[in-house]
Amino acid sequence: MGFLVTTLIYVVVGIIACLFTRICCNRGPSSNLFHLTLIITATVCCWMMWAIVYLAQMKPLIVPILSEEE
Amino acid sequence: MGDGGCCPTMDLLRSEPMQLVQLIIPMESAHRSISYLGDLGLFQFKDLNVEKSPFQRTYASQIKRCGEMARKLRFFREQMTKAGFSPSTRSTMDTEINLDDLEVKLGELEAELAEMNANSEKLQRSHNELLEYKLVLQKAGEFFHSAQSSAADQQIEFEAHLFGEGSIDSPLLLEQEMSTDFSKQVKLGYVSGLVAREKSLAFERVLFRATRGNVFLKQATVEDPVKDPVSGDKINKNVFIVFYSGERAKNKILKICDAFGANRYPFTDDLGKQYQMITEVSGKLSELKTTIDVGLVHRGNLLQTIGYQFEQWNFLVKKEKSIYHTLNMLSIDVTKKCLVGEGWCPVFATNQIQNTLQRATLDSNSQVGAILQVLHTKESPPTYFRTNKVTSAFQEIVDAYGVAKYQEANPGVYTIVTFPFLFAVMFGDWGHGICLLLATLYFIIREKRLSSQKLGDIMEMTFGGRYIIMMMALFSIYTGLIYNEFFSMPFELFGRSAYDCRDPSCGDASTVGLIMVRDTYPFGVDPKWHGTRSELPFLNSLKMKMSILLGVAQMNLGIILSYFNAKFFASDINIWYQFVPQMIFLNSLFGYLSLLIIVKWCTGSQADLYHVMIYMFLSPTDDLGENQLFTGQKFLQIVLLLLALVAVPWMLFPKPFLLKKQHQERHRGQSYTPLHITDDFELESHNDAHGHEEFEFSEVFVHQLIHTIEFVLGAVSNTASYLRLWALSLAHSELSSVFYEKVLLLAWGFNNVVILIVGIVVFICATVGVLLVMETLSAFLHALRLHWVEFQSKFYEGDGYKFYPFSFTLITEDEE
Repeated sequence: MGFLVTTLIYVVVGIIACLFTRICCNRGPSSNLFHLTLIITATVCCWMMWAIVYLAQMKPLIVPILSEEE
Repeated sequence: MGDGGCCPTMDLLRSEPMQLVQLIIPMESAHRSISYLGDLGLFQFKDLNVEKSPFQRTYASQIKRCGEMARKLRFFREQMTKAGFSPSTRSTMDTEINLDDLEVKLGELEAELAEMNANSEKLQRSHNELLEYKLVLQKAGEFFHSAQSSAADQQIEFEAHLFGEGSIDSPLLLEQEMSTDFSKQVKLGYVSGLVAREKSLAFERVLFRATRGNVFLKQATVEDPVKDPVSGDKINKNVFIVFYSGERAKNKILKICDAFGANRYPFTDDLGKQYQMITEVSGKLSELKTTIDVGLVHRGNLLQTIGYQFEQWNFLVKKEKSIYHTLNMLSIDVTKKCLVGEGWCPVFATNQIQNTLQRATLDSNSQVGAILQVLHTKESPPTYFRTNKVTSAFQEIVDAYGVAKYQEANPGVYTIVTFPFLFAVMFGDWGHGICLLLATLYFIIREKRLSSQKLGDIMEMTFGGRYIIMMMALFSIYTGLIYNEFFSMPFELFGRSAYDCRDPSCGDASTVGLIMVRDTYPFGVDPKWHGTRSELPFLNSLKMKMSILLGVAQMNLGIILSYFNAKFFASDINIWYQFVPQMIFLNSLFGYLSLLIIVKWCTGSQADLYHVMIYMFLSPTDDLGENQLFTGQKFLQIVLLLLALVAVPWMLFPKPFLLKKQHQERHRGQSYTPLHITDDFELESHNDAHGHEEFEFSEVFVHQLIHTIEFVLGAVSNTASYLRLWALSLAHSELSSVFYEKVLLLAWGFNNVVILIVGIVVFICATVGVLLVMETLSAFLHALRLHWVEFQSKFYEGDGYKFYPFSFTLITEDEE
């Protein structure tokens, strides 16, 4: 799976979560906007974390060197 | 004041719109109206009688009455806890009690209880005295008995001696001697009683000195501690009996006894009388005992009946007291027929308040209704966020730093996500996350039961933050999966590792290393890194860069929120001369650094980013050489550096001058239009005087200078500050791997059940104590700091004050 595919998964999950809260706890526009903000923030945070770790391992400058087994 | 706003409203982002309201309430329905408003709990009264002392206020006497009743209730509570009753929570809400009836009832109950206490105390005292007396009788009786028998022995011996030896010697002389002895013999007096054991030595010494040794003191220890009749405490005591001769010695001894708190009791050496007294005392004792028991039962019954209704009464008294306190904040109309109150309420509650007032008017059969009138003021209203049980804990975190200025953007909205997220970056381990989640789920599931009972200080705090902890646990499970750590063990959950040996023999795996044979591990850190020699360099570089990226992102979010604030308050100056240059400054330096980090990762370049950043300042025109990441980098760097240099004066100079100009314009405009100020606007003009102080240019300029310096220096230090994310996450993973390897695996290696069990116990204790409790606390504190300082300093003023409505539910919570 490449970077873009997984990113797309995050986007889809985010959208599903947004729709889910919209349907399940619809308490007026200001409340919905609040829930939307929370979910977007959470999705962006999670995606950033994953993306950083993924990018850092994409073109490794150092590789794992096993420690000498005793 | 900007009330226009720019964007659709969002819950919790801005304080509810508030308004200053004037209430005119007729005297006869005032009490009921305030009581109903307290039930509603959406109105904050302003004190209109600040200049009056508590005694000068209208309802001072009622408050005093309530205070007196509260005192009686406290007395009852004391008595109940002493007797071991607890006020039953299932309060029998039988009838609505009138305050006056309650006062009478409380008075009666108090008098009854006080009398009972006095009686039982008296009885207890005489009971204790009798007990002591009995002891004295017994012990002193023993003295006399043993003394008599030894004396009799001596007598017999003496007589035997006499008859055995003295048959030839002069018996007459002896007889004579004996007779003179009897005539010389003085009647010895004695005093008996009890003295505390620790004082007994001193007592003896003082007695000896005072009488120059002309006393004979005999003591016997009482094995069990005795209740002192005066104090009621249990004390170890000695029974003593002092023999003396002479009236003066007696007086001295009595005085010494008093001084040592030794209780004296009469005693006879006549055996028959002794027995008689002992039986008499025993009879009295049992009689007293039954009396006391009956009294106690009676008292218990009384306290029990009080306990049934205690909570209800207590609540009623507190409620009444708060009502009168509130009434005292209202000012009396000139005609003395109305009370005039002012206060803040949310705009959405206007109708509710009006209905409440109407209901109060109807219920108290008042002729005139209460009047609600919205006032216009320049005073800053209190800040009120409508939070629920989940968001309130997060709001507390923000409020602990400072309550938001009225209607400024509330960082609490983002804190709900970013706070647990940053916590989890430092606490990434999904095993620990699950432990934390289970602990907090226990709190959440038993929420109803736990919230009603009293918890300890620390438990209370944990319980209050249960939803924060839940979010933290969820995010730690996520970051733990990313870091691929389960109690520091990696798992290959998301596909196979990207790395493998170069050749089947795997000979150079520990010298040159593995080779990347597949695509990048799709989710999180590759499990192969764990335990390798290059693990630490790799993770350090990764986590450091991650900290910077997350930090720059969060600081940008903060600055963007300052844009929304400026937009909301319609302040173009803040947008163009604060938000824009700040954005440019931060991103031309650290945004650029973030870009370099990402480019380096994507291209796999060997460039040294430190070198690039440092030489961007030192010699921007130099060739980058092997450190070049992309074409045109040199040109971009020069542009960014210039932008950053321009942004500083841009932040500093225009704003104070523009503010000055604005002020002058407004001032000129005002001087032309003072005519329409009539009586209606009296209040407003009054408040205007406060709002429009003289514009001090130097002050504004210095303020702006400080702000600019703070931002410029802060941009560097705050970015560096985010490195704590790396440091704490490193510490956490190192600690957990030490516990795993050095405790659990070591114990496993011994192949011994006992050692293994000890190892497991130590591992669990260390994991819970160090990782789950202490590490949670430290990561919590660091996340707190990142939010308070690094994030909120970008936009948050936090100089507002909280909306504190008059509400009965708040009153009862306060008390605890």
